[in-house]
Amino acid sequence: MSTAIDQIAELLTRLQSSDFYEREEAVRSLGSYDADEAVAGLVMALEDPDMGIRELAADLLAQMKGDTTAQLLVSFLGHADIGTRNLAAEILVKIGGEAVPALLSEVDNEDYDIRKFIVDVLGMIKDPAAVDQLCRKLWDENANVAGSAAEALGEIGSREAVPALIGAFENVEDAQLQAAEALGKIGDPSTLEKLYEFMETDDPMVKFAVLEAIGNIGQKDSVPRLMSIVQSDDRTIAETALMAVINVSLQNNDRIDCDLPLDQFSGFLFDGIRNRNRKITEFTLSRSTHWYGADVLSSLLDVLESVDEDDRQRISDILVDAGPTAATTMLDKFATISVVGKLTVLEAIRQFIDDEIAERLLSFADDSEPDVRQKIAHLLGISGYTGAIPILKKLAGDAVGHVRSTAYAALGWLADENEINFLFNGLEDRYSDVRQAAMGALIVVGTPRVVSRFTKDLHHEELERQRLAVSALGMIGDADVVGPLLGAVNHPDASVRKLAVVSLGRIKSVTDMQPLVLALSDESPAVRKAAVTALIEVRGPMAVNDIRALLDDVDVWVRFHTINAIGELGIENHAQYILPHLDDDQDIIRIAAAKALAKMDCREAIPRLRQLGGDKNDDVVQAAQAAMSELEGTV
Amino acid sequence: MEINLTEANGVAILSLKGRLDLSSGSLLKDQVKKLFEDEKTNIHLDLAEVEFINSSGLGGLVSLMKETRLRKGRLTLSNLASYVQEIFDITQLSHIFEIFVSQEEALNSYQTVNAG
Repeated sequence: MSTAIDQIAELLTRLQSSDFYEREEAVRSLGSYDADEAVAGLVMALEDPDMGIRELAADLLAQMKGDTTAQLLVSFLGHADIGTRNLAAEILVKIGGEAVPALLSEVDNEDYDIRKFIVDVLGMIKDPAAVDQLCRKLWDENANVAGSAAEALGEIGSREAVPALIGAFENVEDAQLQAAEALGKIGDPSTLEKLYEFMETDDPMVKFAVLEAIGNIGQKDSVPRLMSIVQSDDRTIAETALMAVINVSLQNNDRIDCDLPLDQFSGFLFDGIRNRNRKITEFTLSRSTHWYGADVLSSLLDVLESVDEDDRQRISDILVDAGPTAATTMLDKFATISVVGKLTVLEAIRQFIDDEIAERLLSFADDSEPDVRQKIAHLLGISGYTGAIPILKKLAGDAVGHVRSTAYAALGWLADENEINFLFNGLEDRYSDVRQAAMGALIVVGTPRVVSRFTKDLHHEELERQRLAVSALGMIGDADVVGPLLGAVNHPDASVRKLAVVSLGRIKSVTDMQPLVLALSDESPAVRKAAVTALIEVRGPMAVNDIRALLDDVDVWVRFHTINAIGELGIENHAQYILPHLDDDQDIIRIAAAKALAKMDCREAIPRLRQLGGDKNDDVVQAAQAAMSELEGTV
Repeated sequence: MEINLTEANGVAILSLKGRLDLSSGSLLKDQVKKLFEDEKTNIHLDLAEVEFINSSGLGGLVSLMKETRLRKGRLTLSNLASYVQEIFDITQLSHIFEIFVSQEEALNSYQTVNAG
């Protein structure tokens, strides 16, 4: 039996194989050994010609961790092949804190590239155990190593590094920029006084870094200092200082007390929004709620296309808050802004549209975008401005169906008798939603002339128009429509007859009952059911004498509906008509009868309901039991 | 039609019961006119017990909405019965009125607007 060492030796030999699969299997097997020799084999595999095998070895090494792994990987940081070097660095970062001792043991390596690489990896691991050594490396003879040490200390974020970083800023010219950035990342407010001193530097790049650091620390006290730089003649410096103020402001929930000359920086701020800078966007939109200049409103409209849905809504809210006076600015700019901008403006204007704004909107009704034309039609309707009627009539002839539909609906809200002929033209449209919108408009207008036209349409050559007419008459619902609807109860089409009967039931003020009573004998079960409901609506319990004949209707659903309708009245005297139906052949009828009798409080039904407890149908049994418990509960 | 007037957080709530037609629409207009005279322009109509509305009732509501807008106020509706909702949808009036599922939701919307 071979030992683990023998097996690993065998696997190491197989790592040299020309067969990819043999090498891959060897690497996989090495990963299962907890031995330094196996680690060495996996580290060797980092040089395999195949990238897949190299990555497999890297993953296994990252899982194994351990000091030997780290030591071997550190030796690879000086590898001639940059890919292998980077892979070793990646594994070390994944190993994390356990790799720090091995990295620190080589932090003074004579090769400055290796030193820099080690310092970089320590910064990525972010283990505070490396702080002391990294502080020492701020004084490395190589400027790149010193700069990287400052960056690494910033990444680790330990306040212990602050004195060393300040010392480095003051004494190591090449590390000033990184030291300032690191101080900003560490965020210790006690460093501010030093940073104010460092602001005086002549090196603009270092000055940017110092300003950014002050902003990152986020203390309100630093705002006056930053404000003095905001006034700088050097635009780039001034904008960097403003950015620092923005940072402070956001960290203090926008509760900083200073009068920022925002107008001077509107270009910078709105470019920031356009470039999707989150901090600038957040700051500018929060400030814009109190910053209503025409230029600002104009800039807000310009950036609408560049922001996400939430920010677009915020801008829309700002435009609404700006109120009717802002409408002039919005409409002045309307023709030049994006479709998204136009739709946002129109939504904002919706809140305060009046005749004056509606008048101005008229000139944009020929916009090339259908959604914009549709929205304008809608707003013109909401405005109540009758001067918009000619343009709405034009939009009702638009090439796009949804624009026509909205225009017809809007006409309904504005139009009067004079537009009835035009609105009836809409009933000829090729799209049903436009026809329906025209019908809706006519319902709102609802004058006797409209009723008269729809009455004629009851005998239109097209069945759809007949149905539309009877629906419209029902919804107009005034006394004028009762006559035409009573006439429609004898219409040749069953669906028209049914709609007429349903509408009469809703309108109620029907004096001539004869057509409704005759409808109880209609050939269509749907009409007979509608007549039952309508007669009860109009006559109440008095209708039972007429409708009870339908308890023996040939159609089971008519019988079912009639039992339910009589039951809903809840009058015990009517129980005599329902009791026999407890013995109906149809399960559904026995169920309906049981429920109806319970509603009528008919205790006389209890013995028969008890018998139904043995019914062959479970639903009937349940209905009978429910009815009995309801009735017995009332005893 | 019965009209019951209450008030909550500066919103006049008119709970309507019955049929909204020419005569009741006129009654409603008179009631709202009085509210306008008292400078109350946030008005909520609870239609939970309105079983029927016709063309004249709709016309009355449209004219109330226009009047309220002119006074920079708000008119909201809630609890539309299915048939009433159907008429609002067909006439697309559901796009111009602020309609809420419940009175509570409607009143909350006033608070949100005021807070904003």
